[in-house]
Amino acid sequence: MSVVGYAFEEAWASLRRSGRSALVSIGTIAIAFATLGGFLLVSLNVQGVLDQWLQAAEMSVYLLDTTSETERLALEEFLRSQPTVAEVEYVSRERALDRFRSDFPELSDVTAGVGENPFPSALEVRLRTDAGGDAAADALSQEVAGQPGVSDGRYDRRWVGRLMGIVTTARLIGALAAGILMLGAAFTVAAVVRLSLYARRDELEIMQLVGAPFSYIRGPAIFEGLLLGGIGAGVALIAIAILYSTLSRWLGSDLAGFGGIGQLRFLGLTEFVMMLLGGIGVGAAAGTVAARAVR
Amino acid sequence: MIETQSLAKSYGRGMFALRDLNLKIDRGEFAFLTGPSGAGKSTLLRLLLLQEKPSEGEVIVAGRNLSHLTRDEVQAYRRTVGFVFQDFKLIASKTVFDNVSFTLRVLGQPIEEQRRRTYQVLKWVGLQHRLNALPEELSGGEQQRVAIARALVNEPHLVLADEPTGNLDPDLSLEIMNLFRDINARGTTVLVATHDRELIKWVGRRVIQLDHGHMAGAPGQGS
Repeated sequence: MSVVGYAFEEAWASLRRSGRSALVSIGTIAIAFATLGGFLLVSLNVQGVLDQWLQAAEMSVYLLDTTSETERLALEEFLRSQPTVAEVEYVSRERALDRFRSDFPELSDVTAGVGENPFPSALEVRLRTDAGGDAAADALSQEVAGQPGVSDGRYDRRWVGRLMGIVTTARLIGALAAGILMLGAAFTVAAVVRLSLYARRDELEIMQLVGAPFSYIRGPAIFEGLLLGGIGAGVALIAIAILYSTLSRWLGSDLAGFGGIGQLRFLGLTEFVMMLLGGIGVGAAAGTVAARAVR
Repeated sequence: MIETQSLAKSYGRGMFALRDLNLKIDRGEFAFLTGPSGAGKSTLLRLLLLQEKPSEGEVIVAGRNLSHLTRDEVQAYRRTVGFVFQDFKLIASKTVFDNVSFTLRVLGQPIEEQRRRTYQVLKWVGLQHRLNALPEELSGGEQQRVAIARALVNEPHLVLADEPTGNLDPDLSLEIMNLFRDINARGTTVLVATHDRELIKWVGRRVIQLDHGHMAGAPGQGS
């Protein structure tokens, strides 16, 4: 029998013998990975919302009612010549009204009550994300506000940037919390593996005396850690999937509608595989540390 | 087969378990290691099995100096040595068959080979009818025969036994000694540590007498 087959068989038998302590170990790994997966899931969806918002108009240049076609075209040409500008789109007063009615149908009474179209025509400017950042966008916004035919220039991306900063910080805190939990889980796995090694101490002594290779002596401990970690991560993924499915059934459309995205996103195959491999890796590392006690 | 040169083992300052031991056991020889408690018999066997390292001197087995082996070489060396202890050292949760085949299993032998050799050696020690019994279901003599089967299953060149009859009554002790004699008759070098003078006399082989870690006299012959 190969060393891998032997190690796997012994590790599985040891897990079954460990009973409750193995369950505790799997539980702690599952909590750590569920935390990590939860943060991943939330940040994935928040990122989707932010991307959506970022793709929306970033700078609005409102035109006067008296602005001529020639002035507007000159403004468009000016904006397109700027290195920070990716795209310029003209939105007429009529189109602005139509868009408002379609986006906020429940407020159609308000516009009807006003009588004439209250929206100004505007140039919606999308900026390059890599060209000078907020400072360049601010400078352009001020410069364009002074151009003939312009009533106002607004750069609204700053708050999105701030929100992204908050999300990044939250993501870091999440990763840190998951890291600490994972470290705790790794210690639990190592303790469980050590207990198994203690239970098998007679067997290990005999193995050493008959000259068994160290891969046979330590292999089962490493595989036991690996199994604990893999099962723990698997349980976490199943828990996240159930939670996601429940939440998206009850609140999915509301949350997606609030964020302006079509529907909520679940973890992709890459995140799934990475989490599973992470669990296996953490478990195997803890098992290896525990197995080093056998000399 | 076994040679020690100025071998010493100390535990702390001035506490010598073995001191300046020069010993030679030929290939295919059967020798007894005897002496009172604390004479150093078990220490010598532990050094031969590399469970401990000498404080001074050299241990040479089959022409190989054991002082400078790496961890993996130690394991490879142990595969050429069979051992039998007073307390049998059987795994309580494994059957007779599994206790013996375990050695071959952890050495990566094919399963058919494991079965064949395990059955063969258990038949040789007369336990072919107790293959599925657990150690606790066996008598002391039977447990020691399982331990001997385990020591032999890998066909070692050298068998070391530390008080193998210490827990057995006189009749069973003779039975076990007969097995060691048979093992030796097959060409295997056998070194048995015991303080049972009657048994040594009955087997009638070379006796190495230790006292306080020293050779008590020149290697002599048992009657």
